[in-house]
Amino acid sequence: MSPVPEIAVRAVSKSYSAGRPEEVRALRGVSVVLPPGDVVSVEGPSGCGKTTLLNLLGLLDVPSQGQVLWDGRNVAVRSERERARLRLTGVGFIFQRFYLLPTMTARENVELPMRALGRPAGERRARADRLLADVGLSPRAEAFPHELSGGEEQRVAVARALANAPGLLLADEPTGELDRANTDQILDLLLRVQAESGSTLLLVTHNPRVAARARRHLRMEDGRIVGDGPEA
Amino acid sequence: MTASRWSLRHHRLQAILAVASIGTAVALPVVLLSVGGGVSQHELAQLENSGYQLSISAGGLHGISGAHALVAQIDALPHVASASAVLSVAVDLFLPTGGVTPALAEGVMPGAFLATQGPTTAGLFPHPLPLGDPSDLAHYANGTYAGPPALDVLVASPFAQDFGFGVGATLGLGATTNRSAATPFTVTGTFGVPAQTLGPAAVFAIVLPLSDLQQLTGYARAGAGSGALLDQADTIEVALAGSAATSVAAISQVQQEVQGLAPFYGVSALTDQASELRASIGVLNGFYLALSSVSLTIGLLFLALVLLRRVEAERRTIGIRRALGLPGRQIALGLARDGLVLAAAGGAAGTVGGIAVVTGLARFGSGSVATAAGLALFDPLTLGLLLAGVLLLSLGASAVAARSALRGSIPEALR
Repeated sequence: MSPVPEIAVRAVSKSYSAGRPEEVRALRGVSVVLPPGDVVSVEGPSGCGKTTLLNLLGLLDVPSQGQVLWDGRNVAVRSERERARLRLTGVGFIFQRFYLLPTMTARENVELPMRALGRPAGERRARADRLLADVGLSPRAEAFPHELSGGEEQRVAVARALANAPGLLLADEPTGELDRANTDQILDLLLRVQAESGSTLLLVTHNPRVAARARRHLRMEDGRIVGDGPEA
Repeated sequence: MTASRWSLRHHRLQAILAVASIGTAVALPVVLLSVGGGVSQHELAQLENSGYQLSISAGGLHGISGAHALVAQIDALPHVASASAVLSVAVDLFLPTGGVTPALAEGVMPGAFLATQGPTTAGLFPHPLPLGDPSDLAHYANGTYAGPPALDVLVASPFAQDFGFGVGATLGLGATTNRSAATPFTVTGTFGVPAQTLGPAAVFAIVLPLSDLQQLTGYARAGAGSGALLDQADTIEVALAGSAATSVAAISQVQQEVQGLAPFYGVSALTDQASELRASIGVLNGFYLALSSVSLTIGLLFLALVLLRRVEAERRTIGIRRALGLPGRQIALGLARDGLVLAAAGGAAGTVGGIAVVTGLARFGSGSVATAAGLALFDPLTLGLLLAGVLLLSLGASAVAARSALRGSIPEALR
């Protein structure tokens, strides 16, 4: 497993202006530290900047101002190539809409990050099969995403996120398109994985039931963190 | 199953269109280069196998006067095996069946003519030429044209067949359509036409003694009073003997000596003509390549558009790959692989299509188009280089698509 870094953002702002008549300030001077092994929920109304914060923490985007620190190093200023390498080895993403590649089977989706790292085919396949077994999808390994239910798709996405044993798991509304039973199943899975691996887990959600499973709660409003503590 | 294979299969229409456009773009150069190259090589081979090494001609529209005398002088030079004056004129031919038709006649010195022709052309004629006096000097009679004319004529076999006459027939030849002014000639033989009907031998309908043709067409007459004698020919071809025929130094020496005899005419060595022809072929090939480049550019622009369209259609999946941290290089390689597959398929289709078009033209075309197509040369090296160029350019098209795929923010792509 990748070493679990301490992740932090310091005085981070993010503005969007492309194609809009007025600049939209998605984040306004946000600072937060995520110690290794933390389980954090980010809550708040739509448009408050939750996903933008997640994107910055996961190096999908760069801040307009401020720093994104991994073990104290500002990784936001690194090249896209370096940030891609960090994403590949250090971050596991789980998206609301799963974002499985429709042209690949469940196993191939799980193998994809390992293939990008150049892992041998046998090793890839063995680990993908193990991860699919962990999420209870061994019988569906050869299925394509359109052949899977929403819950199954998200379980494949979780397995994919764990493929390279990342130190940071980022889940953006991971249960947003799932029913209650599937929501509980996915959350149980994520928390079990986090407990086993010791990775940092950050859940973006506006669902109080999901947020309640976290140990730490960040509350956001209007691009700012307005609450940070153990209470939901 | 790789994403690339899936991608090509599930964008079948786009793939087919891209292959068709590249195929069309490749077929044009295949046709141009194979036919153009084949015709050029044929011309060059004809020139190099002409059988003569020097050619004398006059600048502008007028011909060589005093041809018989000049030939005699050239014949006397060292290393010269034979010199032959040739005159080409259109005459009216009055057929035994009563019709009249224009025909291109070639006047030759019967004994020297075949000695200055290459084996291919010489092989088309009977040996020796059954045209009376081999030297053509009896009728010429020192410029008086008072000697007896041969009044013999050779006719191209297809021409004789078309008009239904053969050896022994009498043809009337005249410079006008006035039958009563025509001179009767006896058909004493026929000659063939080359299988590849490009070149001078293909178009001559009749061959007769030079002096007979000169007199018939007004190219032989004594000048009034002390005026110069008109004894006209278009060219004089000179064949050298033995090793001199292949010696650059000997050819150059005889060229200078002939030039000294005929200072007002151009004396060109066949080697020079071949060099000029090669230079012309080079220019022509450059033109073909320029035209081919335009065609290929259009085809590859279409490929770039198809790949860009694919990038647009797959922007989200590309965004997912980028989000997962897959190196941009892998995404670019996937597009390059797609581009190469399409370009290779299009290149192969275009090559096969181009060869099929040329073969079809040779088989089912008519006239000089079919003849030119029949001469086409499909040089594997040229075709290989063309295909390699297409593959190389497809990488450029892929690079454009890859640049588009990797541009922009990942969150935007995921929306």
